[in-house]
Amino acid sequence: MFYSHFCIPFIVGTVILFVTILYRYVMWIADLPKSDKRLIVKGLFTTATLRSIWETIRESLLHVSIFKRNALLGYMHCSLAFGWFLLIVVGWIETTAYMGAEFVPLQGHVFFRYFAIGIDNHIVTFDHIMDALLLFVLSGVALAWFKRLKSKHLGMRKTTKHTIGDRIALSFLWFIFPTRLVAESITAAVYGGGGFVTANIGAALNNILPASLLTGAFEPIWWIYSCALGGFFIAMPHSRYMHIFTEVPLIFLRNYRLRVRQSQSSYDNFQVQACSRCGICIDACQLQSQLGHNNVQSVYFLRDRRANSLNMNVASDCLMCGRCADRCPVGIDLNSLRLNSRAAMRNMPNERRYNYFNALDRSTGEGKVGYFAGCMTMLTPHTLTAMQTIFTAAGEDVWWADRDGGVCCGRPLRLTGETDSANKMVQYNTALFRKHGITTLVTSCPICLKTFREDYNLEGIEILHHSQYILRLINSGKISLQHSDNKTFTYHDPCELGRGNGIYDEPRSVITAIGTLIEPKHHHRDSLCCGSSLANTVISDSEQITISSSLTLELEATGAKTLVTACPLCKKALGRTTQQKIVDLSEIVATNLNTKP
Amino acid sequence: MSKRVVVVGGGISGMQTALSLKSLGFEPLILEQSRQLGGKVADWHLLFPSFTPAEEVTVPLIRAVRQNGILVRLGCKVVSIESRRVILCSGERIDCDAVVLCSGSTLFDATIKEEYGYGIYDNVYTSADIEKMMNNECVATASGAAPERIAILHCVGSRDEKVCQRHCSKVCCITGVKQAIELKKLFPKAEIFNFYMDIRMFGPGYEELYRQAQIDYNIHFVRGRISEASPLMDGRVQIKAEDTLTGRPLRMSVDMLVLMIGMRANDDNAFLSSSSGAELAPNGFFKSRNSFVDNVLSTKDGIFLAGTVSSPKTIGQSLNEATTVAHRVAEYLNYGN
Repeated sequence: MFYSHFCIPFIVGTVILFVTILYRYVMWIADLPKSDKRLIVKGLFTTATLRSIWETIRESLLHVSIFKRNALLGYMHCSLAFGWFLLIVVGWIETTAYMGAEFVPLQGHVFFRYFAIGIDNHIVTFDHIMDALLLFVLSGVALAWFKRLKSKHLGMRKTTKHTIGDRIALSFLWFIFPTRLVAESITAAVYGGGGFVTANIGAALNNILPASLLTGAFEPIWWIYSCALGGFFIAMPHSRYMHIFTEVPLIFLRNYRLRVRQSQSSYDNFQVQACSRCGICIDACQLQSQLGHNNVQSVYFLRDRRANSLNMNVASDCLMCGRCADRCPVGIDLNSLRLNSRAAMRNMPNERRYNYFNALDRSTGEGKVGYFAGCMTMLTPHTLTAMQTIFTAAGEDVWWADRDGGVCCGRPLRLTGETDSANKMVQYNTALFRKHGITTLVTSCPICLKTFREDYNLEGIEILHHSQYILRLINSGKISLQHSDNKTFTYHDPCELGRGNGIYDEPRSVITAIGTLIEPKHHHRDSLCCGSSLANTVISDSEQITISSSLTLELEATGAKTLVTACPLCKKALGRTTQQKIVDLSEIVATNLNTKP
Repeated sequence: MSKRVVVVGGGISGMQTALSLKSLGFEPLILEQSRQLGGKVADWHLLFPSFTPAEEVTVPLIRAVRQNGILVRLGCKVVSIESRRVILCSGERIDCDAVVLCSGSTLFDATIKEEYGYGIYDNVYTSADIEKMMNNECVATASGAAPERIAILHCVGSRDEKVCQRHCSKVCCITGVKQAIELKKLFPKAEIFNFYMDIRMFGPGYEELYRQAQIDYNIHFVRGRISEASPLMDGRVQIKAEDTLTGRPLRMSVDMLVLMIGMRANDDNAFLSSSSGAELAPNGFFKSRNSFVDNVLSTKDGIFLAGTVSSPKTIGQSLNEATTVAHRVAEYLNYGN
């Protein structure tokens, strides 16, 4: 009963789609590292599964995080995803309501209006509900069309440039729902029935067009609808719409604690293919907004990596400021993916290069607190002298970890992809820290901080940024500061400290203990990058300066007397483009210490 | 009545320009923002490559300016220039027939290169500090002792994109050689190291002096920039560098670190340019109309350039330009453009 020849394109498309996707997922999961597989098995019967289901509903269907960024944009994504989902689910319920629990083939649900022509006892409510849902989806399609013309009204300055495959799939997708509307309306015109939308359009068609034309168009329009569906399903796994399904396993795997690794693994497939190329990352990118670099943003990086056409230039032209990852509605681990792409292209360790390690360690002294200034702090010695003043005032026993014998933390090498060389640094420094028996490791450099926390195994050693450490000294009364409301400061959140390590409040607490803090336009998670990031090996100095200038303009616009940051690299970058006083957090602490009686 | 030409700046270029203009029958007016004539050369001790005292250049010029009755106004800063009018910061307007910019350049602020510790640690000096110390005959470390080891670092604030100064400051290489020899004469037992990227000995007698420094004075030249300096407990400075000819990193403790600071464009150039319409080069110096026959002309008619306002130059080159510019002003005023 539920078959007609026009169903063939749909059936073929559906079979190809499910075979392709199933094949891919099985292969990807089979290729996962053993430890990842164990994580899945361990997590399967825990609350992680429930959380994943909830997250799938929120993000894959409702698109809550996009709603938060822009309501209209959220509605567009939600209407397409959730609307279509409801059409399928309610369509199935509708069929069941008519036919009972009897088996109905898939095309029976999808083309129910076609097959329902002969059925007598119409349930009008379902017709209305299905029409309303179709209208819901169509409103999303209309918004998508509108977004092509005026993306600004949906909160997007720039949208993604799509590949040919994407355009083909997109054309099919845009066709599906309008043809469904027309097919169901013509059916209503010829055979009656239909909900409040299709019945009315059908009646109108009857008035305008001759009956013979409508009868003649009836079969072809269902063929067109079936072809649009079939065509979309075949194109889908080879286009950005692969994300529709892939986001779901990604959510589950992420909640089972699978992570992107230093070298590429099968899990990356789920991450890379979950990108919907929505383009939200493009506006966040300062390389785009300030320098007009157009083909390097995360969406394009993932596109190239998916197509195996990634080149060094695209992989390396990124500040790794994390602004895009922060906005990504799918939560893709963009920076880690870029890092392991770089590692795949550039990890060629030179064993002889590190022979100098052997004669390096001239370290002496002890202390519960190890202070690792960081290479960039060595180049901004005002911070060094300020920290020395603070340590002395607090009476802390400090061992200077990288003055005599420490090496670079390794993160600059890691950022360029030289993972193995970076790991040599990690091993060396770890041994050095253990040798001196420190229990707390303080660093002035957020870049070092991030790698200490993520790439070192420093169990038993507490790792602090100097902003956290200074705040502790204040709270425990070891140092006290002179406060005056007349002292005005503005604070720049360094990328690696804020988005990288989640440290936003401590520096602010320290500043407000001294004076008044005026926030710049972009702050906290939305703060801008200073442009001098070690992660970008492509842009020139003058391009770095362009980025830095736009940031200093914002900081200067606050009218604060002193610009404060908490990263030596940011300080250097900002110092290049401002005439105003730019200092590290430790400097304002050192100059505003209350000398003890 | 003879035509009036405003000369902005009373350094050696400004004075020579005014003198040449006067001898051609014009009435020059020197506007100098400081309280004295002589400019940067007045702060210098001996001049390369002949070790001539700087006052042998400045004093005769200042005397000639006085004797020729050239109008000089000290302590007045120019805030705006149009081709036939100059506006001072007091709001006063001075009408004139042409303007010659001889406002020179600014010495790079070494505190911007924080990694060298200038202004943070003792015993880090700039080349200008050394000249002052020589003038005052008080060259010594912060504790007053004679230095035993001195490092001289070239290209501080020049040829350095990191501080937005891409251009070569031209005179610092030979100044480094000159100061090394002077320091060696003062402290014959001291070891002196010059750290350089390239040694550019372009002038007559420069290359000879460079060879002499190595052969006669045993001054060491290390190809590599110093990456950072840090203080030692005893007040000395520890420097880290790479000897790029041997490809090895090195660490050295020195009693004095001398930074060869470069000439950079004046900050004032920006508003002098926007008010006058004379364009600036990307490095912030005033742009010559071309580098050949019109190198003392700005891109705007009636506004002329002489000396380091258009690029770093030696004293001789600046004085030559000053003489040339007077003739070009004369052509402009006598025959029109």
